[in-house]
This record gives sequence, C-alpha cells and structure tokens, in this order.
Amino acid sequence: MKEAPRWKRASGWVDLRGRREGGLAFLLMRLTGIGLVIYLFIHLYVLRLLAQGPEAWDAFIAMAKSPLFLALDGLLILGILYHALNGVRVTLLGLGIGVPHQARLFWGVMALTLLVTAIAAYAIFTIAG
Amino acid sequence: MPTWQLRLLRGRPGGSPRLEIYRVELPAEAYLIDAVEKIWAEQDRSLLFRHACHHASCGACGVRVNGRERLMCITPLREFSPDRPIQVEPLRHFPWLGDLLVDVSPMMRRMAEVGFAIVRQDELTADRPLPEGIERITRFEDCIECGLCLSACPVMAADEAYLGPATLAAIERMLKEPRGGDTARLLTLADDPHGAWRCHSAMECTAVCPSNVDPASAIGRLRRRLIAERFRRWIGGGR
Amino acid sequence: MWIWQAFTGLLLLILLTLHMVFNHFVVEGGLRTYRDVVAYLSHPVVFTWEILFLVVVTAHALMGVRAILLDLGIGPGTDRWLKRGLTLLGLGIIGYGVWLSWWIRSRGA
Ligand code: HEM
Ligand code: HEM
Ligand code: SF4
Ligand code: FES
Repeated sequence: MKEAPRWKRASGWVDLRGRREGGLAFLLMRLTGIGLVIYLFIHLYVLRLLAQGPEAWDAFIAMAKSPLFLALDGLLILGILYHALNGVRVTLLGLGIGVPHQARLFWGVMALTLLVTAIAAYAIFTIAG
Repeated sequence: MPTWQLRLLRGRPGGSPRLEIYRVELPAEAYLIDAVEKIWAEQDRSLLFRHACHHASCGACGVRVNGRERLMCITPLREFSPDRPIQVEPLRHFPWLGDLLVDVSPMMRRMAEVGFAIVRQDELTADRPLPEGIERITRFEDCIECGLCLSACPVMAADEAYLGPATLAAIERMLKEPRGGDTARLLTLADDPHGAWRCHSAMECTAVCPSNVDPASAIGRLRRRLIAERFRRWIGGGR
Repeated sequence: MWIWQAFTGLLLLILLTLHMVFNHFVVEGGLRTYRDVVAYLSHPVVFTWEILFLVVVTAHALMGVRAILLDLGIGPGTDRWLKRGLTLLGLGIIGYGVWLSWWIRSRGA
C-alpha cells in the first residue's frame, strides 16, 4: 500500500507471509549474500595478519582450529553452497529457463546444500583433528 | 447448510484497520465471492469490495485469502473448514481505498503505456453496437489485469517504480506480435533498472497468476531478447 | 546490472570452489600456516588466479550490496552517489588485496 511508511516498504522483501518456495529462496539468497559480504570484509581484515609475519598468522591459525571456529566454517560453507547453487537456479530462471520446475529446483538446491555441507563438515573436522 | 466464518479486514484510510468476524450460511458449492456478497447484502452495506464477472475474466475480485493472493470468484468455500475463519484482506502494494478495495490505477496506467491491447473482434461482438462512450472493444490476451502478481511480488513491495510482472509480461506479449506497434519504445521501457532487470526471480507472480500468463517466464524471454538486441547493436553498430 | 551479477556469480562458482578447496581442504592440517601461504602465493598461476578471484568477488559483492540498497527506495540521484561510493570502496578493497598478496609473495622469493 502506497501510504505505508518508507521503512515498512523497505522491509517488504523480508515479509514471507503469503509467499512460497520462490519467495523463501529469494529471502535466503539475500540473507546469505549479506552474510558473505560481511564474511569477506572480516576475512580480508584478518588476512592483514599475514603482513605482520609468521607469529601473528600462525597464532591465528592455531585459534582457527578450535571447534568453535571450525563450526563457524561449517556455517560459512552452508551459506556459500546455498548461495552458489541457488545462484545457478536464479540465473536459469531469470532467463526464463525451467520456471515450471522452480519449486522442485529449490528443494533440490536445499538437499544438495545440506548434503555437501555435511560431507564438508566431516572433512573439516577429520582433517583438522 | 454449513455456516462459514469470514474474517474481513475492515477500515478506511486514515483510521486503523481491524479484522472482524462475520458468519454466513451457504452451501459448500458456493464461492468466496458469494459469501462476501451475502455479508454485504445482509449484514453491512458499507463493505467495500470489487467484482463484476463472477467467472475469472474481469480480474476485479482479487484479494488475499489466508495471506495468499486469489480471485474470490474462483475460490470455492469447499476448500475451507467451517470451524476456522477464512481471512480476507486487500491486495498489497496498491493504494488502499478501504476494506477489501484497492486502487488499481497505477497498474492500469502502466498497462496503457505499453498499449497492451491485442484487438480481438470475434463473431459475437463484431457486429453488435458498442455501448455508449466506448469506442472500441479490446481483449487483453490471457492477462485479466487482476493485480495478483503485483501483490505477491516481493520486489514490488520494496520498489514502487518497478514496472511489475503483469506489465513486463504485457511488453513481452506485444513484442511477440507488435501489429505495427513501436517495438523500440517497448524495448526501451523494459531495458531499465526498474524494468526487466529489477526482477529477482522470486517466482511468486507465476505461482499466483490465475490466468496462466506465467509472467516469470515472460520476463526471462524479455531479458534474452534485450541481451540479443544489445549484442546485435554491439557487433553491428545498429540494425 | 543483473547480467553482471549472474555472470560474475557463475565465475565465482569456479573461483570460490577452488579457493575453498585449496585453502581449506587439500591442505595438510586443514589450514595453511604462514610458510604454506607464502609458498602457495609464490606460484605465478596461483597468484594470478587469486587476484582474479579477488577482483571478481569484490565486484559481485558490491553490485549485490547496491541491488539490496536499491530496494530500500533509493532514487536516481542517491543511486549515482551510491555507485561512486561503492566503486571507490571496491577499488580500495582490490588495492589492499593486491598489495597484501604482493607483500606476502615477496617474502617467499
Ligand atoms: C559462489 C558462487 C556465487 C554465485 C553462483 C552467485 C550468484 C549470484 C546471483 C545469480 C545473484 C543474483 C540474485 C538475484 O538476482 O536476486 C547473486 C546475488 C548476490 N550475491 Fe552472489 N553468487 C556467488 C557468490 C557470492 C559471494 C562470494 C558473495 C559475497 C562476498 C555474494 C554476494 C551476493 C550479494 C550481496 C547478492 C545480492 C543479493 C540480492 O540482490 O538479493 N555472492 N549472487
Ligand atoms: C574458510 C574458508 C577459507 C579459507 C581457509 C581461506 C583462506 C585464505 C587464505 C589463506 C588467503 C591468502 C592466500 C590466498 O590469496 O590464497 C585467502 C585470500 C582470499 N580469500 Fe579466502 N579463505 C576462505 C574462504 C573465503 C571466502 C568464502 C571468500 C569470499 C567471500 C574468500 C575471499 C578471499 C579473497 C578475495 C582473498 C584474496 C585476498 C588477497 O589477494 O589479498 N575466502 N583466503
Ligand atoms: S499476469 Fe496474471 S496475476 Fe498478473 S495481472 Fe495478469 S492475470 Fe493477474
Ligand atoms: S469477479 Fe471477475 S474475476 Fe472475479
């Protein structure tokens, strides 16, 4: 509605009421996108340790092997996989390819995301262990 | 005969809208529009809502039923249980006029700008006199301009200037069969940050369209066309 | 803009997968130590590849940020400034990344 205040319009894309798979896919795409941008900034900031010499970086790496950090890695991978796989879905749909199958494609993306994240998480904990 | 509970959004612009419960007795074969009309006829004459054809062709009776965009005239009561209220609210992303009524003119203006009117004069209307004040009869392809897709689209929620699924689908339809229309103008209209490129493929328009227009696919085809045009201009320096 | 978002996205599919796999999975112990990173970036192909990745993610990420901000009801005037600001930020990020990688690489030689 036009007379709705600006902040309310601006948050319209968050509102999932009355929406289905496609709307959910869009919301998750956006949230993972924002998450990845934030990660990118943190990541680049942390990389400055590399310029401070071996001690600084290796101390960080030791910390990054704690279970908490590895779990966060798992979360990162979850986000990346969803965003990347749905990115392919959205590119195809955005060109009008496969629109009748969009909901099934969404669940496929979800399933593949969870599957590969599980495998990756297993790999992370065994390699770093 | 079962008694149905309807929870309607009531109010006028300026006041605060509230949801109110109404009860109507109707056979399960009836449709939601019948229930709303009965409430209007027997309980509250001030209820604002729109309808005309009763058979999914005028596009006037779009509302949100339990949150989802539907045409009241093809929403059977049979779908619901009499124990639970059926919530009916006006469409989103249009100026609200009160109760279940919204002002669809922003969409209509855009459709007119596209000139979306593939003229169909069939045997029934061809040699009949036209009603007074009407110069010609036009038939909009499948799109009945109900606005359900605009209400369902999350991008429409955020960006007033977005052309919207129905209009983009109309442009695509016109390009396919321009009948002497100005295709360059249509392409310019679509090739805009608030045009075909604004879509984020949430797919809600196609999910909700009662008339098989499939705006999401149309936007995709439109984009392919725009990319092809751009490429042609790029390598050919014109046409 | 959508085309570029999608195009850089598809490039990232390859670039980011390789980045993750090389930095996190095929490495012994899971994460590179300082010495490993220096050795890794010393290879010219790896170096070029990582710089390409840096440029592409930065572009994709900042175009994405603009797409989201546009949905907050930003008009054409503000958008012009937003574009300039994000371009500047992007160049800053790329500059920082290139400097950093170059510096790390120079430790190895
Ligand atoms: C790994 C491969 C990736 C692919 C295939 C991909 C693909 C895409 C696509 C197709 C879109 C457009 C979505 C839309 O129109 O709504 C998009 C949006 C976006 N991407 Fe990516 N992307 C990838 C990685 C990344 C990374 C690493 C970041 C952050 C550093 C990122 C941040 C964003 C942001 C912020 C948006 C905007 C979201 C929106 O408009 O709602 N993406 N991505
Ligand atoms: C948890 C998994 C990750 C690990 C262990 C990791 C590790 C590293 C390391 C060791 C470097 C420096 C050496 C090099 O350039 O290859 C680096 C650079 C970089 N990483 Fe990651 N990374 C991870 C995930 C990501 C993600 C998800 C992104 C994108 C959002 C990203 C973006 C970058 C960029 C742009 C550079 C280049 C910086 C420069 O050239 O200065 N990384 N990463
Ligand atoms: S495209 Fe479908 S949902 Fe949208 S206005 Fe036309 S008929 Fe209604
Ligand atoms: S009354 Fe005409 S479409 Fe419902």
